[in-house]
Amino acid sequence: MIRFENVGLRYGTGPEILRDVTFHVLPGSFHFLTGPSGAGKTSLLRLLFMSIRPSRGLIHVFGENALALTPAGRAELRRRIGIVFQDFRLLDHLTTWENVALPLRVMGKKESEYREDVTDLLRWVGLGDRVDAYPEILSGGEKQRAAIARAVIGRPELLLADEPTGNVDPLIADRLLRLFVELNRLGTSVIIATHDYALMDQLDAPRLVLYEGHLDLR
Amino acid sequence: MISARAFIDDLREYPWVNLLAGLLPARFQPKTAQIVPSASIAGNALTVVIAIMSFLACLTAGAVYMVNQSARAWVNDIASEITIELDPVNTADIEKKMTLVSLFLAKQSGITRVKPLTAEDSAKLLEPWLGRSDALSALPIPRLIAVEIDRSNPPDIETISAALSQSFEGVTLDDHRRWRAEIRTLTRSAALGGLAVLGLVAAATIAVIVSATRSAMASNREIIEVLHFVGANERFISREFERHFLGLGVRAALVGAVGAMLVFLLLPVIMHLLGGDGGTSVTEMSRLVGSGELDFPGYLLCVLVVFVVASLCVITSRLGVIRVLKSYA
Repeated sequence: MIRFENVGLRYGTGPEILRDVTFHVLPGSFHFLTGPSGAGKTSLLRLLFMSIRPSRGLIHVFGENALALTPAGRAELRRRIGIVFQDFRLLDHLTTWENVALPLRVMGKKESEYREDVTDLLRWVGLGDRVDAYPEILSGGEKQRAAIARAVIGRPELLLADEPTGNVDPLIADRLLRLFVELNRLGTSVIIATHDYALMDQLDAPRLVLYEGHLDLR
Repeated sequence: MISARAFIDDLREYPWVNLLAGLLPARFQPKTAQIVPSASIAGNALTVVIAIMSFLACLTAGAVYMVNQSARAWVNDIASEITIELDPVNTADIEKKMTLVSLFLAKQSGITRVKPLTAEDSAKLLEPWLGRSDALSALPIPRLIAVEIDRSNPPDIETISAALSQSFEGVTLDDHRRWRAEIRTLTRSAALGGLAVLGLVAAATIAVIVSATRSAMASNREIIEVLHFVGANERFISREFERHFLGLGVRAALVGAVGAMLVFLLLPVIMHLLGGDGGTSVTEMSRLVGSGELDFPGYLLCVLVVFVVASLCVITSRLGVIRVLKSYA
């Protein structure tokens, strides 16, 4: 599904943040991506999501060479990937419901086809009473859950999450982890970037550990 | 640059309902929020500029059309007439000569009507330039005979002209060829001038839309990034912007066109007011632009301008968005 070979990344003329990163992600797998702050977790997720290009190496996403994709081809692949950003990236002029429905709208689906699904998912992540609320009045944890709901609403084949439980209490964190596991059971590959050991300890999943630019699988 | 085929394919699968909904003012639009908010697109100032451009384009197109129609009618009119001019100098009995020439002309085939103009009629023709004066009667004003010709069976003008010169001294024939050529030159110049103005208006509209698109893209950069992250392609993103520009373009162009149509409706009144009591300027203006009233095809031309302006808005914004998106990539 995902194949990185000798990938290196540097921003501008700065030092290499990632060095010779090589790993494979198989369909239906579940990985944690961890490492100290500044180790390059977010950069690795951005490479996986094709929002930046590596300085060197090869990246294959869903069997396609990510470095040779056209903008249309990249957009097509991104529809198969869900991503949760650390800073949520919700659109302030859209309600919670509209934010979550955005990927389906982009796919060209009719509102009548997904109205119930979006409402059910919002209820499931504990935002049933915040459907019409705008992001600016949501708490950090609520924004986090809305961002997660947006990432999973399109049943992606690959889910990337950057610190998805960073702003929520343990109860909600546990619930969100169960959502990820459930998605994984349904066939979605999941990569969660986190340094929350309590969260990682709840699940027996392989850990991709980034340290000083190198990646180890543990 | 987007290819023509891709553009046509895209038009075929266009979400026309959503697009047409974009024509409505924000308060009448569907409740599902727009991904790109209307308020983030340059609003009133841009609408006013496009309305002015549309107004100018409609005025220009309408005026050129009107002059063209008037000139065509005029050319048709004078093409079915020839004028015989009799030099009064060295002619003892000009009235007798008028009668003889008229009789000669009436016998020629292809001539339907011969109308000798009296000395008063000839003097009246000079009034716009020399004013009304008794002194005119003392001047040796050439006498004229208006001849109507059968356009389906026209006479041999060259033969008649030669015969007149041979038979009568000081008689010349004018088939208005020089006038017609001058009118054609004038209308062609007016049309070219109109096209130049329309070209400038189109260029200014494009420049304004390009600038507004860039500004809208810059202020909505975050939205564009999120759209990219959820898998939106360039076409989807450009549609979200261009529906705003289409709505804005149609509304502004309609305002401009309606303004121009009102001017054309009021033009006869304006001409009358400018010309005071129906003096020379009204007469001259009427010769140039006819009655000053635009006919139905003329108004259709204004509607066409609305379509062209709206299309310019859509195409320019689309190309602008795609260009900026490529620069982001």
